[in-house]
Amino acid sequence: MAKAKKPQVLVVEDEAPVLLTYRLMLEDQGYEVFCALSSQDATAVLGSRRFDLVLCDLSLEQNHTGFEVFERVHKRDPEVPCVLLTGYANRETTERAEQAGITVFFKPIEIDEFLLTLKKILRNSHGKQAKANRN
Amino acid sequence: MATPLLRKQLPDPGSFVERRKSVRDSTALRLLSAERSEEIFPILLEEIIALGFPRALVLGVDFETGAVRPVAALKYQPNQLQRFHSQLWAGENPLVSALHALKPAILAPSGGEREPLYCHPLLYRNRNQCWEAERERRRECLAVQNFRSPHKLQLQEQVCASCAMRAYAAMVVVPVDRQAREGELRQLRNLIETANRYLARLFKVEHYYNRMRDMDVTISQMHTVMQSMADPVILTDSHHRVIMLNKAAERFFKMPEGVTEGGARAVELNNLYFSAALSSMAVSGVESHRDLTLVDVMEGEEVLFEAVCAPTFSSDGVRSGMVTVMRDVTDLRRADQEVRSNLQKLRDAEEVVRQDRDRLNLVIENVGDPIVVADGAAKVVLLDPLAKELFGVGDVARHPAVVRNQARLDAYLTAFTFSFADSQNRPLRLHNPASNSEIEYAARSGKIYDARGQVAYTVTVLRDLTAWKKLEQLQLERRMLEVEKFAATGRLAGTIAHEINNPLEAIKNAIYLLPGKLKPPAQPVYDILKSETERVTRIVRQMLGLYRNTDQVGPFDLNSVVEDTLTLFARQLSTASISVEKVLGNLPPIVGSADQFRQVLSNLVVNARDSMAKGGRLAIRTRHVRATDGVHGSVNIVLADTGCGIPTDMLQSVFEPFVSTKGEKGTGLGLWIVKGIVENHSGGIRVRSRQGKGTVFKLSFPIVR
Repeated sequence: MAKAKKPQVLVVEDEAPVLLTYRLMLEDQGYEVFCALSSQDATAVLGSRRFDLVLCDLSLEQNHTGFEVFERVHKRDPEVPCVLLTGYANRETTERAEQAGITVFFKPIEIDEFLLTLKKILRNSHGKQAKANRN
Repeated sequence: MATPLLRKQLPDPGSFVERRKSVRDSTALRLLSAERSEEIFPILLEEIIALGFPRALVLGVDFETGAVRPVAALKYQPNQLQRFHSQLWAGENPLVSALHALKPAILAPSGGEREPLYCHPLLYRNRNQCWEAERERRRECLAVQNFRSPHKLQLQEQVCASCAMRAYAAMVVVPVDRQAREGELRQLRNLIETANRYLARLFKVEHYYNRMRDMDVTISQMHTVMQSMADPVILTDSHHRVIMLNKAAERFFKMPEGVTEGGARAVELNNLYFSAALSSMAVSGVESHRDLTLVDVMEGEEVLFEAVCAPTFSSDGVRSGMVTVMRDVTDLRRADQEVRSNLQKLRDAEEVVRQDRDRLNLVIENVGDPIVVADGAAKVVLLDPLAKELFGVGDVARHPAVVRNQARLDAYLTAFTFSFADSQNRPLRLHNPASNSEIEYAARSGKIYDARGQVAYTVTVLRDLTAWKKLEQLQLERRMLEVEKFAATGRLAGTIAHEINNPLEAIKNAIYLLPGKLKPPAQPVYDILKSETERVTRIVRQMLGLYRNTDQVGPFDLNSVVEDTLTLFARQLSTASISVEKVLGNLPPIVGSADQFRQVLSNLVVNARDSMAKGGRLAIRTRHVRATDGVHGSVNIVLADTGCGIPTDMLQSVFEPFVSTKGEKGTGLGLWIVKGIVENHSGGIRVRSRQGKGTVFKLSFPIVR
């Protein structure tokens, strides 16, 4: 059996220190982490490769939001699981995220729960992918 | 029966016998045997004939009519008697004038008579005084007067002043021969005089007999009167012994047959009361009255009497006893009392009415709106001070603007009073002197009807709509401001939380990454970093939790939220030896966020738990308060703990943010969030607490159907 490829995770976050801690934590979990500080960077990265999971902050530089990033991700591949991180969300935001099948985490996140959830999402998505490949 | 005095005055037997000798013994015996005065004249006439005279008659005088007519006659033919009929005042008649003269006389023959007539007038007379005059030591006695001075017959004098005896007057008429001998005439005169003595005696006896009978009749009449009186009448002697009682009095003072012991005692008591009253009345004067309460022996009821007492006097002026008449005044007194109590009631009612009126006046004066009261003819009868400003009194009333107001009010009142509506609500434009401008008032009028259903009064309250609207606007603004304030606070909190969130996220994540990379001495520092960061995290979470508004809104069962929360904390509570007592009422569903309610209950339960460090009791009750108007009801939740309570100086501020009784342990946001959620659901929250005793939170949510 071939050695399992590390899950590829994109983290978009406009604050560098926060982005750094996410990256360290996720790398700890054995993921290959790609970072983007703005929606522009994210768009650029998204154009070059495919990710197993995309984490994105809601409010990005200027008036850009995480939803723009998710749209771009889903345009390429609707199956890619997305997670929205937000410090302050109103009902509309959460409803919109739920409709698009996006998991929402409120900052400050409960780290253990957060990591566990990501693991579950990836497992589910891999299962689906494997099934799709077999077919 | 004669007194010694009387006996002394009797004529001595000697003279009596000597006089009798002039008349034959048989004649005297015959006259003596007569028992009635009517028998005397027939005997007399027979004796006259026996003396040898041819005829004889007696003329009697009727004092009532003055008629003089024959009352007895012997040997006369009826037609012969006709001419003896006459009248007392017929002085020309020689017979009548002979009668008036009261002296025996011989009249010359006249008319059909051949012989002269011997006329002998008779009058009631006696040497002895009548018994009354005797007893009362009076000199006036008719019999004696007539005996001593036989002058002319005076009709008005022929009644005894002492015994009221009315005298008789008669005249014996005997025809005599022209040559009648003196001896024969003397015999005749003696016979007639003797007969008159017997007649006088019998007349006297009959007089007394008649008087006795009259008195008997009077007494029986008086007795009947007394007995027939409904009021008790009692006659007593000078020693207050009862002489006579009427039937009404017997009821109270006489022991009836087969009376009970109680009845007998009542009679004794009545007699005792009566004699006591009598003694005091006898002392007090001529005629007196007093109240006396007696017991009716038959009925056993108390009867109130007014006893009127009058003394009786004997003929010699000595007090001989008392007559007491008692009037039953029970009903009278009762009626009197009733009248008095009615009067009192009336006064009380008047007082109530007066107070009501004063209160009403006070209300009218303090309503703060002009009030106009008008009568059934739409004429104003009362203006409160504010209405007076509008419609004026005195000099103000002549101001043109006020006159215009009056006209408008009159038109309004007339239209309303004579309309069929019971009440009316209409705008009325009036000039307001205070602001010197036209203002639209809302006029609300009602009618007061009298007993006949006619309009007695109308009451109109004028409300200054502009002022009212201004006030309403002000209240609305104030409410808006509060809402705005709350929202602003929320937004501020949100912004702060958001701005803190990202750095906090970085710190938290960094701390998470630290373990294993530290030298052992740095471990305590790491622990502090970790725990304090956790605390900041909690604060921010709670602040955000309130404003996230992410939860589902819809109807839910509050009781199940309570159950869930209690289940969640069950282990913690039992560990802290806190017993839970829950009474959950039957509740209608509440519309809102179940999650937020869960947070409310969690916060309150956690607070209760923390306040009962040494254990205690937590009571949770839910209740549906039904609407009295069918529309507005409420659901209430009460949480009561037996914990340490909240210091009095903090009670005011527990719902403010960052106020905590738990020191470092608490965020000071729990109750602030609870209040926020409760108010978001249009509810209310109240707290009562006593330090060392416990705290009670009462939450109430309106239910609108």
